[in-house]
Amino acid sequence: MGERLPTLRLFSRFVVAIVLLCTALVVSTNSQGLAIDLAGKPFDPFRAAPGKVVVLIFVRTDCPISNRYAPMIQQLGNDRVDRAAFFLVYPSRKETAEAIRRHLKEFGYTLAAIRDPQHILVKQSAAQITPEAAVFNAKGQLVYHGRIDNLYEDFGHARKQATTHELADAVEAATAGKSLSASATPAVGCYISDLE
Amino acid sequence: MTVGPEKLVRRLLVLACFMPLALTVGNRTIAKQETPPQSAGAPPPITFNRDIAPILFRTCARCHRPGEAGPFSLLTYADAKSHARQIAAVTKRRFMPPWLPEPGQLKFADELRLSDNEIARIQAWVEQGTVEGNPSDLPSMPKFVEGWQLGKPDVVLKATNSYALPASGSDNYWNFVFRAPVDRTRWLKAMEIRPGDKRLVHHANVLVDRQQNGRRQEQEPGDGFGGMELTIESEVFDPDSHFLFWKPGSIPYVEPDGMALRLDKDTDLILNTHLQPSGKPETIQPTLGLYFTDKPATLHPILLQLENDRMLDIPAGDKHFVVTDEFTLPVDVDLLAIYPHAHYLGKDLQAHAKFPDGRSETLIHIPDWNLSWQAVYRYSQPVKLPKGTTISMNFAYDNSDGNIRNPNDPPQRVVAGNRAVDEMAHLWLQVLPQNSPQEKDDPRILIIEAMSRHKLRKNPEDFEAHYNLAALLMGRGEISEALAHFTQANRIKPNEATVNNAFGAALLAAGRTEESVPHLTAALNARPNYFDARYNLGNALASLGDFRGALAQFQAAVRINPEDANAEANLGSAFAETGDLKQAKLHYERALHLNPNHELARENLQQINSPH
Repeated sequence: MGERLPTLRLFSRFVVAIVLLCTALVVSTNSQGLAIDLAGKPFDPFRAAPGKVVVLIFVRTDCPISNRYAPMIQQLGNDRVDRAAFFLVYPSRKETAEAIRRHLKEFGYTLAAIRDPQHILVKQSAAQITPEAAVFNAKGQLVYHGRIDNLYEDFGHARKQATTHELADAVEAATAGKSLSASATPAVGCYISDLE
Repeated sequence: MTVGPEKLVRRLLVLACFMPLALTVGNRTIAKQETPPQSAGAPPPITFNRDIAPILFRTCARCHRPGEAGPFSLLTYADAKSHARQIAAVTKRRFMPPWLPEPGQLKFADELRLSDNEIARIQAWVEQGTVEGNPSDLPSMPKFVEGWQLGKPDVVLKATNSYALPASGSDNYWNFVFRAPVDRTRWLKAMEIRPGDKRLVHHANVLVDRQQNGRRQEQEPGDGFGGMELTIESEVFDPDSHFLFWKPGSIPYVEPDGMALRLDKDTDLILNTHLQPSGKPETIQPTLGLYFTDKPATLHPILLQLENDRMLDIPAGDKHFVVTDEFTLPVDVDLLAIYPHAHYLGKDLQAHAKFPDGRSETLIHIPDWNLSWQAVYRYSQPVKLPKGTTISMNFAYDNSDGNIRNPNDPPQRVVAGNRAVDEMAHLWLQVLPQNSPQEKDDPRILIIEAMSRHKLRKNPEDFEAHYNLAALLMGRGEISEALAHFTQANRIKPNEATVNNAFGAALLAAGRTEESVPHLTAALNARPNYFDARYNLGNALASLGDFRGALAQFQAAVRINPEDANAEANLGSAFAETGDLKQAKLHYERALHLNPNHELARENLQQINSPH
């Protein structure tokens, strides 16, 4: 596996290694992650789309709100395919690659999907909810994280249609190279921390 | 890499990273709870097995299990842990379990409400780190019946065609029409509604359509039709009423002895469903399970409706628009169940009873209405409402942009209507009228009469009230007042087939035969296959001496319904009057075949067979 793991193999050294890793995560937002692709290989979305705006969308197979967003998420990705790289990120440890493939097929997703069982990308994105989006500018800086739009105000409080579109706006700004200070609007859905 | 170390490393990674993360998000509660205090006097920690599982088993598991409406299962510690914070959040806001009414003096059957203490326990369990606890504390898992909840139904009806629910978009409403599988009147003690994929159907309602109104709205038989609200007309005075309602987790209601639901031949059952897109294309094909009983109904509940749709004219931006109605009971009733109904602007829905002795009781209070969780609420005990009790409804609406469910952005003036963007102010009560020795009339008739008169006071142009009042007055033999209300109903909806036929029949009964003809003709222009109107027009023409005209109508009538002995007998008479005794004989014989006790047919046949 990746370059980091050898240090973890030795029990006598793992505590040190963990501390280093965590420090790296908190300090640097574009550190290489330990997310994996559906084949189980380490996968770094930032390396896969160098110099591009990267959008991570955290989803879960059994989260009803995140599922209800599927057509909108896919459409957002389709419409911006030239300007930004969209990745679906499944943060659950329990969801197997097979279950995720099934989920992608059922919900008509063609976006790239990756797993983040160690919550490396979750932490990098400060994500707390599925569905939640994180937008990184071409320099790999986190410029937005939070809800996709305001369809849901709370559990059971859904609008007929969203009236604000935070994710689309953030992608727009990031692809236009506008310098945004990192902004966040809380999302409604399932708590990622329940997966720890 | 070996499996063991990786597992261990992952677990430690989480723990080691937890502290800095918790600090960065400032979540002091979680950090503090890392080491729960264990001093001698402190209460023991909340555990899943002892404190949480009983709550989940009682209120959550009925829907949160495989195949049910809940999007994930909540049967085990692992299930609960992987949704712990979500459970804490949705119970704290009382979004789950879905139960809208405030607790009051009157208790509902099957209340799905968590106590404040239960909610606090769930919060504490999550804050303390979701401790599993002692396995011996875990209660046994509730036993759920798989499949049909009441056992194998006597008859299962499946929707002819499925409905394709799109992957996205707002709420969707679809109606499925089922043909009742009976060749004679039967009695239903229960109906189980299986709406298809339970995760997609928010709620469903069955309406008994004795006149096949619904199927006329289908493009092709079996297609079903769209629409949020249904109005089912009845051509005969027929106040028998039951709530046939499904919501997630509901167990089919078995009517008590004597309260079976009548199901006639040629009745349709219309399933009205409220669907919510899931994110992927879905197909919905509901089934109904029917459970018959040999015991006919001896008790006849009726549905009372308070409403004031005419008051519904909510200015854009109005945060608190109130609609009221009140109705004073003309007889003693037992209130069995209640069903408040508004659309997306409804906010605070209340109903009260004011007794003749001045006491008041809250019948229901829903402080935060949510259409998605609407339900029929059955009282755990019938509520005695004596004659003279005034039932009132008080519904408040929020048409501001602060109401996020507002379907209009920006808010617009909203009036009453059947669409999701329109509003409604309806309160349905299922009551069982009590017979009183002082009253000679059926108490149901007295209620319908009082209700119709109440509606006409609210709205003199209420078509249904005129029609219902006319129909029941006819039934009571008060023909002149009945004719007055038929006249009004007919003026409001001149081309309505049902009214034209009933009006024509009433004129016929009043001896105003010539006046009946244009109404019966109008009924047939609107609905050529209208058996009753053909039959009535045949009779009208015959009594006017136009036997050829009558013959044509009776011929058409027996084509529409070949099993009606009266139509056959009258067709025989029409032939006889026009001199065709051979045909007359044939049709009298048919009438007698259909009904061997048909006196008129027998007498006329004897006359033909033995001419003096």
